[in-house]
Amino acid sequence: MSQTQHPADEIAVPSADELAEMSTEEAMILGAEADGVHIVHRRERFPIAGTRAERRAERIIALTFLIGFLAAVGFIVVFCGAVPFEWHLPSQGSQDFRYFTPLLGILLAISLAAIGIGVVLWAKWLLPEEEAVQDRHDEPSPVTEQIMTSATLISGFNDLGVGRRSILKSTIGLAVGALTAVPLVALVGAMIKKPNKGPGQSLFHTLYTAGTPLVYADGRRISTDDLLPGGIETVFPGVPGGVKAGDSPTLLIRLRPGQTVRARKGQAGFGFGDYVAFSKICTHAGCPASLYEQQTGRLLCPCHQSQFNVLEDAKPIFGPATRSLPKLPIGVEEVDGKQYFVAKGDFPEAIGPAFWERP
Amino acid sequence: MTDDNVDSDAADSSTDSEYGFGPAVADTAASTSAPRIRAKRGGRGSLRRKLTSIAILVGALTAVGGGYALLAPSSGAADTAVSAADVEKGRQLYETSCITCHGANLQGVADRGPSLIGVGSASAYFQVSTGRMPAVSQGANNLRKDPKFTEDQTQWIAAYVQSVGGGVQVPAGNLRADDADLAEGGELFRLNCASCHGATAKGAPLSAGKTAPGLNEATDSQMYAAMLSGPGQMPVFSDNQVTPDQKKAIIAYVQSMKAQKDPGGASLDRVGPVTEGLVVGTVGLGLLMVTILWIGRKS
Amino acid sequence: MSVTANGPTVKGPKRYENPRTPQGKAGKWADERLGLAGGARKQLNKVFPDHWSFMMGEIALYSFIILILTGTFLSFFFDASMTEVRYDGSFIPLNGVEMSRAYASTLHISFDVRGGLILRQIHHWAALLFVASMTIHMFRVFFTGAFRKPRELNWLIGLGLITLGILEGFAGYSLPDDLLSGTGLRIAEAIMQSIPVIGTWVSFLVFGGKFPGNEIIGRLYIVHVLLIPGILAGLIGAHMALLIKQKHTEFPGPGKTEHTVSGERMYPTYSAKAGGFFFLVFAVCAALGGLAQINPVWLYGPYNTAQVSSGSQPDFYIGFLDGSTRLFPSWEIRVWHHTIPAVFWPTVVLPGILFTFAGAYPFLEAKLTKDRAKHNLLQRPRDVPVRTGLGAMAITFYAVLLLSGGNDLIAKAFDISLNAMTWGGRIGLLILPPIAYAFAYLVCLGLQRHDREVLEHGIETGIIRRLPNGEFIEIHQPLGPVDDHGHGLLQYAGTPVPKKMNKLGNPHTSKVRGFFYPVREKAEIEAELAAIEATEQERIREEHRELTD
Repeated sequence: MSQTQHPADEIAVPSADELAEMSTEEAMILGAEADGVHIVHRRERFPIAGTRAERRAERIIALTFLIGFLAAVGFIVVFCGAVPFEWHLPSQGSQDFRYFTPLLGILLAISLAAIGIGVVLWAKWLLPEEEAVQDRHDEPSPVTEQIMTSATLISGFNDLGVGRRSILKSTIGLAVGALTAVPLVALVGAMIKKPNKGPGQSLFHTLYTAGTPLVYADGRRISTDDLLPGGIETVFPGVPGGVKAGDSPTLLIRLRPGQTVRARKGQAGFGFGDYVAFSKICTHAGCPASLYEQQTGRLLCPCHQSQFNVLEDAKPIFGPATRSLPKLPIGVEEVDGKQYFVAKGDFPEAIGPAFWERP
Repeated sequence: MTDDNVDSDAADSSTDSEYGFGPAVADTAASTSAPRIRAKRGGRGSLRRKLTSIAILVGALTAVGGGYALLAPSSGAADTAVSAADVEKGRQLYETSCITCHGANLQGVADRGPSLIGVGSASAYFQVSTGRMPAVSQGANNLRKDPKFTEDQTQWIAAYVQSVGGGVQVPAGNLRADDADLAEGGELFRLNCASCHGATAKGAPLSAGKTAPGLNEATDSQMYAAMLSGPGQMPVFSDNQVTPDQKKAIIAYVQSMKAQKDPGGASLDRVGPVTEGLVVGTVGLGLLMVTILWIGRKS
Repeated sequence: MSVTANGPTVKGPKRYENPRTPQGKAGKWADERLGLAGGARKQLNKVFPDHWSFMMGEIALYSFIILILTGTFLSFFFDASMTEVRYDGSFIPLNGVEMSRAYASTLHISFDVRGGLILRQIHHWAALLFVASMTIHMFRVFFTGAFRKPRELNWLIGLGLITLGILEGFAGYSLPDDLLSGTGLRIAEAIMQSIPVIGTWVSFLVFGGKFPGNEIIGRLYIVHVLLIPGILAGLIGAHMALLIKQKHTEFPGPGKTEHTVSGERMYPTYSAKAGGFFFLVFAVCAALGGLAQINPVWLYGPYNTAQVSSGSQPDFYIGFLDGSTRLFPSWEIRVWHHTIPAVFWPTVVLPGILFTFAGAYPFLEAKLTKDRAKHNLLQRPRDVPVRTGLGAMAITFYAVLLLSGGNDLIAKAFDISLNAMTWGGRIGLLILPPIAYAFAYLVCLGLQRHDREVLEHGIETGIIRRLPNGEFIEIHQPLGPVDDHGHGLLQYAGTPVPKKMNKLGNPHTSKVRGFFYPVREKAEIEAELAAIEATEQERIREEHRELTD
């Protein structure tokens, strides 16, 4: 466009007295010009004030604000107890509390939307139609500025003697460098924990040891009578903290007649009768892999759909998992004529997702 | 039906038998009517069974001349509602609708249907009442559909299957624990059931096209029967493992969850983050796109 | 001076030195202390271009404000502790269940704090909207070339905002310690562990030991309410400051130049519209928060390492990583008794590559196109087919990953085999993006060609005329001056070209507007076209004069 560059200083600002004589609009336009903003088009929406059209526009906008007011009052009324919000069971009577949150939402949304629409309409209908063009002034600083600024920087540099006093340079570098490391070291040092150190902290071992009883989540012991063929149960080591520990969950499976598990090398005696036990923690990302298909013997993990074939020793057969689920060696111990399951030892390998130190 | 508990002997006796029901049946419960109505109908069904047994007893006893027989239904024996007549009616239905695939003596037919010996009335009741049996075709993912038989007919067929092959049975009476046990039921549901059916009981796909169904339509007795018999790919939950009281607590939890109205507005089918993301992408951003088009428009 | 000028009327001399109106007095009071009259006016007069696509970033900004407002409310009731308690609140189905205080206090907010549920839900919906709007804003910036010099820095800040927004969202999603979010944390732990060499150290550091430990919720809480929001606020400030310094880009068109920006002044028009829009964004969040239930944690139960729900999904902004993890094959590297797990590639390496590439893109494009110039005018997507193609490719790649993140639910809903969904995703991820590139590229060229045709031959009028030799031709309405052969003189300039007669001169439709170009009044366009024509004529005359001289 024609009016390309109008640096502010080129505007001859009139005197205060002259400005005071101007109309508000004139002074505004002059101010805009001083800011490099050129109002190229400005027209009142309603050049004649008080026409029917203008009053109608005003009334509609006022109506939206009124709706906003009423909805906000409605919100307060509902909130303060017009609608019950205390939750109760279906058997305890009406479930009217379910209207509380939606009513609040609708009323709040109506109030907000009405105010928002009103304000936008105000801008669209009543504010003067205006098109302004502003100079960007985004060119780099003038070369003179650049030279003076770099001179300032270099001069300061020279005053400090950064070039000459190399011993100061290197010592302050050392000091500040070391100091910068302090918060980092403090934070990491405070939080760091050596992996696999301390009781219950090893990624390679769980709470199962030879003779640990297998128990239900409620602590009852589990016997060989408990599961029917095709049944599964999540079992835990019956030691203090065993049910809570993240690596404890183990899936005890009783195979259907005719199903057998092809054991891995060295794990032949790990099952007991038609019972086998695998870690429930998926070797991929650690979700409990527990969607068991009793007829196909497949075990699916719901997080990333890894599929394991229990009949092939829980080998991964589909999806992103790479390792078989670790198998828990189980046996029984006889108490009062009933055979209760015990672990014959820990899992032979680390359970759960793989990590760097894992062979 | 019988009030026998499924003890471990009964369980052992069933170990030799073929377990699953349909050919590669892959899923479990769900039904057509609301749980409460269904429960009522179940009650009416057992009442009708009682009435039938009364009629038989009355017939037999009036022959002897004993008018006191009217007191009979109040006795505990009435719980054993399986009468010879029911079994006989069940046999007739079996022979018209089931015999082609399961054989004359429940022994199964090669390439058509498995043996039903030892599966018990629980399994037969589940499969027939959820409409999975009679199956439309073999092999496919056998899904819930409208049942072909009435509740009474289903009970008769189940009684017949039980009488011939034996196996697990759904106990008579109320199968839903009261509200005090909801929390226990919830814990058990999340531990044993949610991994397949989902925490909100909406179901999930299993491997290669099989599915675990949602429990929207499942009735009390269907859920009980499913836990007891392990239909399709579903694991079996014996009474030693999940006691009858615990099963009732699970049922109470699921039915209560289904009946609870959502306090936070539309449920979005309780699916979770995927539908929530879909809503924000379509409704949320959609509304706001319309808004900015409106604001950006010159007036 | 402008202080008094802002007063209603300025009458007597020297009145401006002693204002009598309250506003005037307040203005004088402030200016005597701050001396901001000049600087403030400059900001009030700032010009913002008016185009619908420039408001997407505003949605993100307003969502952030809504998040702070609702989040502050929630923080009064939430207890970020993993101490085990027995629940005894209103939600009877969990009565007596052992759970962390974090989960119990979330239930407390949902059922026992009046209005707590709706604020929780507004907070969660606003969070989804925050990330979603940042994403579409980023695509707008990409497709219009708004990231080019001098705005590369703001592109990088924006990328940082999205990354932090995703992390912030994940931290918030994890706080209730319910079964769904705990499952997410379990996977996050596996991802940390998968980092070669330092993985287990990182995981033990973050969780304070073996998963789940007792620390993580408290730590995530401070990350969620202080650390990331603080950085986000700082970066948003920097994003806006750069926007104000560099001024907004605008679409090319009649009267638009690289040295100016045209539109409405900040005060009063633009601020009224923007302020109104804030209320409207809040209204959408409130409506969603009241009418659509989100994250009903009471149905999921407390987190327990032995439990899981099928269909466990993260919030949508993590969905693409969930999808990549599902699709990635079971490739694990094992060397010298060490392992690099399969989970490492799709969750650490892939997003690393994606975000690095996105960050490097402005610089790569400048290098490859050798374009070192400053650009304040945007480009229409059709005018840069390669970039548009790349964008289409990225969107397709992202969409396949996102869909795969919910592939179990899609499999269930449409009765497709889960295994088929996985394979479909794997294949789709490889072949669909190149197809999208080719398709977008061709569409761009086609649209450009059509524009050029109209510029050269004019608009099809639909009037058929028969020539004396019997041939039928369609009359074309030229858009501007024509040469001796009737070909348009207007050059292709990457600006919208009217394609229909009724976009031109019908007196009843006084506006020319559309989806992808700014709103212009017909009269203005005509005036500007006339001006351009005059300048063009002037230039030609100049050249003639120079040649003849």
